[in-house]
Amino acid sequence: MVPQLSWYLALSAVLFTIGVVGVMVKRNVISMFMCIELMLNAVNLTFVAFSSFFRDVTGQLFVFIVMTVAAAEAAVGLGIIIAIFRNRESLDVDDASTLKL
Amino acid sequence: MAIGCAISMVGQRNPLYSAISLVGVFISLACLYVTLAAPFIAAVQVIIYAGAIMVLVVFVIMLLNVEEEERRPMRLRSLVPIAVSLAAILFAEAAFIIFFVQTSPATPTANVSDVGLTASIGSGLFTTYLLPFEITSILLLMAVVGAMTLARRGGLLPANVGVVPGYQSFAKDTLDPRTTPDLTQVVARTSEEAERLLGVAKVPHTQDSE
Repeated sequence: MVPQLSWYLALSAVLFTIGVVGVMVKRNVISMFMCIELMLNAVNLTFVAFSSFFRDVTGQLFVFIVMTVAAAEAAVGLGIIIAIFRNRESLDVDDASTLKL
Repeated sequence: MAIGCAISMVGQRNPLYSAISLVGVFISLACLYVTLAAPFIAAVQVIIYAGAIMVLVVFVIMLLNVEEEERRPMRLRSLVPIAVSLAAILFAEAAFIIFFVQTSPATPTANVSDVGLTASIGSGLFTTYLLPFEITSILLLMAVVGAMTLARRGGLLPANVGVVPGYQSFAKDTLDPRTTPDLTQVVARTSEEAERLLGVAKVPHTQDSE
């Protein structure tokens, strides 16, 4: 039974949806952050699936760049989380709804 | 397995368990990449995501001593029926599309090819896509500088600095960078007072330094 392209796309869509739901439901900044990583991974799965099924290496190059962006985002995002935690002693997004210090 | 780990990730209340479930998602996605004939991307996925990023996340969770979320009443309860109906429409559309994709002529199937190998990725990355690659390096540099700036603790003074002995006065924004344009003078009459204002620990003078 050969895997079809649509299976991978469906899995990717499900993962992306779970990530979106997590971002909307969670109140903890770190959990929302991990849900964003999950969404990035779902998109990566789509890229790799198309790249493999259409025999084109461009998709995998794009995945590489997306991973770099995700790493940069992780570094900066965690720095912001630490700065917010120092100011407010809380990781709840509702406590950080204003951008004022 | 990836879906199960993802659901467990969103469902957990403790962020640490959620992070561990996310590692499970990453590793099962890496297995999928291997079956899609992309071994390089699979290796990079394990190294970068399951290694570096999750270590960072777990480190921050430990550092900030996150407690479990408490249950709270849901906001916007009136929107729940609308959300359910929209979700039903979305699922109907998705089922429709998947049904017609299955009945349409077959898509090309994946065989073993050289597409996912490290050599082809490297040659593509350094010839056709050289400019995005360089931009990526600049982005990483910006991220390093930005993360250091954000995570730095307040002042610009290194940890082992001492104060000049005696009477002195400072501008207020030197003492607290959050009040930056404020140049009001703050007077310290003795060295101890200056140390307390600057937040500098007193450096003990050792014998060999004299």
